[in-house]
Amino acid sequence: MPAKDSNAPDGGYGWVVVVSAFMVMGLTAAVLKTFGLFFVEIQQHFDELASNTSWITSVAIATFHLGAPVASSLCVRYTHRAVVITGGLLAFSGMALGFLGLSMVWMYATTGFLQGLGISFSWTPAISIVSHYFSKRRALANAIASTGECAFAFTFGPFFQWLISQYGWKGALLIIGGIQLNICVCGVLMRPLASSCLFEASHSETETPPGNGASRIDKEVKSPITHKTFNWMLARRPEFVFYAIFGILAAMSFFVPPLFLVPLSHSLGIDESWTASLLSILAMVDFAGRLLCGWYANLHVTKTVHLLTMTIVLISTSLLLLPLANNYLSLAIFTGFYGFFFGTTVAVHITVLADVVGMSDFDSALGLFMLIRSTGGFVGPPLAGLIVDMVGDYKAGFYMAGATLVLSAGFLVTLDQIQQRKGRVSQTNKPEKPTLPYPSLHLLKLQHRRYQGHDVVV
Amino acid sequence: EKNITLDSATRIELSCRLDSKYSHLKSLRVTWKRGNETIRHINKTENSWSIQLMILDNSKLGSYSCVLQGEEEISAVFHLQVPKIEGKEKPIISYEGDTVVMTCKSFDYAPIAWTWYVTNGSEQIAINDSLLADKYVINRISANVTHLKILKVTKEDDGVYWCEAAFELGKSIGKLKLKVLSLMVPLKPFLAIVAEVVIIVTMVFLYEMYSKKKEKRAEYEKEFDQVEQL
Repeated sequence: MPAKDSNAPDGGYGWVVVVSAFMVMGLTAAVLKTFGLFFVEIQQHFDELASNTSWITSVAIATFHLGAPVASSLCVRYTHRAVVITGGLLAFSGMALGFLGLSMVWMYATTGFLQGLGISFSWTPAISIVSHYFSKRRALANAIASTGECAFAFTFGPFFQWLISQYGWKGALLIIGGIQLNICVCGVLMRPLASSCLFEASHSETETPPGNGASRIDKEVKSPITHKTFNWMLARRPEFVFYAIFGILAAMSFFVPPLFLVPLSHSLGIDESWTASLLSILAMVDFAGRLLCGWYANLHVTKTVHLLTMTIVLISTSLLLLPLANNYLSLAIFTGFYGFFFGTTVAVHITVLADVVGMSDFDSALGLFMLIRSTGGFVGPPLAGLIVDMVGDYKAGFYMAGATLVLSAGFLVTLDQIQQRKGRVSQTNKPEKPTLPYPSLHLLKLQHRRYQGHDVVV
Repeated sequence: EKNITLDSATRIELSCRLDSKYSHLKSLRVTWKRGNETIRHINKTENSWSIQLMILDNSKLGSYSCVLQGEEEISAVFHLQVPKIEGKEKPIISYEGDTVVMTCKSFDYAPIAWTWYVTNGSEQIAINDSLLADKYVINRISANVTHLKILKVTKEDDGVYWCEAAFELGKSIGKLKLKVLSLMVPLKPFLAIVAEVVIIVTMVFLYEMYSKKKEKRAEYEKEFDQVEQL
């Protein structure tokens, strides 16, 4: 059931929100991706093992995932804008305090924990508010916002290198913290939408269509309560459960190819600079994939769930074929395909979540989904590493990633079947959940779905 | 040309072999030279000429060449050297009051001793860490790696440092550069960015408050008009 908010502007100020979300994605995810440049510097400064230094990123990623549901529930209570601004301040403080560089544990706490929390509090509401602001053009808006990560990651690589060469790693952290403070600027621009639940309830009072008065008042009393708190009932809905399982399997596979691409390339005898160019190719086709998929999904030619299933199948095909590459050119081509379809998947998977759970629960769903998905992200790379060690070849990692994705596609297909069955059943019954505040427009939508001219229940 | 690394006294044999494509050359006379000096002891086989050297000290290191004199002059050179030391090409950036650790590594061969030098003007001054124990700490982390830790770095510590590895057959040096920045250096762009953020956020807030007031005023005026119409 695609979630449609008729009060979603679908344009206008929404594009300002998309641009700020674009920048938030860049200032959060891209910084996390490029943090690897600081590894060697920090490791040498504190004279620590590489594994101990890499805990910084692990802490950041863990905090990011665990903070996502917290951020979502805060969004529901306070506005998206407030949470994003808080996230910006947290991320900024993490980097700026990291400048002091007192000890390794200090770095874990600042560039690890504080940064991860800040990124979580910025990223989650930014993604969410774009979906709130758009309904028909949601796929395109999400896709454009998500390209921020690619665009910024592309430029941050050389930029961070330059910063480190000019100011040392400490000064670079301070300046990057300042740059992350701009997340607050983006947050300020994210005006909360006029529709809150109380507004919905009061509005529907004044526009009650004849009949059904009693049942409508009951629903009005219920809706403010469910919107204000984190909705744990999501876990009971089979569609969400299936989508969450898909998320776990997909996450298990997503982190593996970037990890093993470089070693695989080295094992094929490809030079270091050419290997680096592979990663650039990945970033560029990722960008292109996200935009193209957003535009295509926007045409509403295919259902988003079907589109996602197709992209997943295409990624898994690229991954299963990638081990066939034996020189730079073939590896680059397969990497290009993988990166492109990865971009398409990322562009559309948030929109599919909105379609699966509906906008009223979207914030909670996003947080919960990220939390559940993170388990896949933690299990995936070590499991892949184990398989690679057992087989003795990096190609096994790609086979594993491809196979996991094929499995996840199975869950998507099941989800789609459930949705279709529910759609057929509900065509003869009245819809259960109140979703729209404008009954007149809802009437039009129901007529479009060939309802039998019933009264509207909002 | 060939580079040969030697770290301790040894006996070494260098030989030059003539490739079969030159076997047509008739009057073959091979001389081994070191600079201008000719070396006598030559062992000769059918196609190769070799010398044996006893390398006991630094004076014996250098470039040895075998020269074939005949219709064409063909030569090959051997460079006998002490092991190379790796310093750091890019300058190490540090801040005032901070602690810096500079690392020098020797590949494959362990030096007998390490010495650190700091460049003062045009002179190289050895760093004595027992004399200035609260400023410099020299640690030999492993056989091949040495650390120079400078505590409470100041602007005067800015400059070029040398780490010297002493081998039985000679010394080898690596170069490191230390750049000391004051805290103001990154602070300036940082404060500029923070100021920019504060300004933009304030502007956006003011604009929103202003447009909300305008909306409210427009609503009041509308209601006022409606009341008037009644």
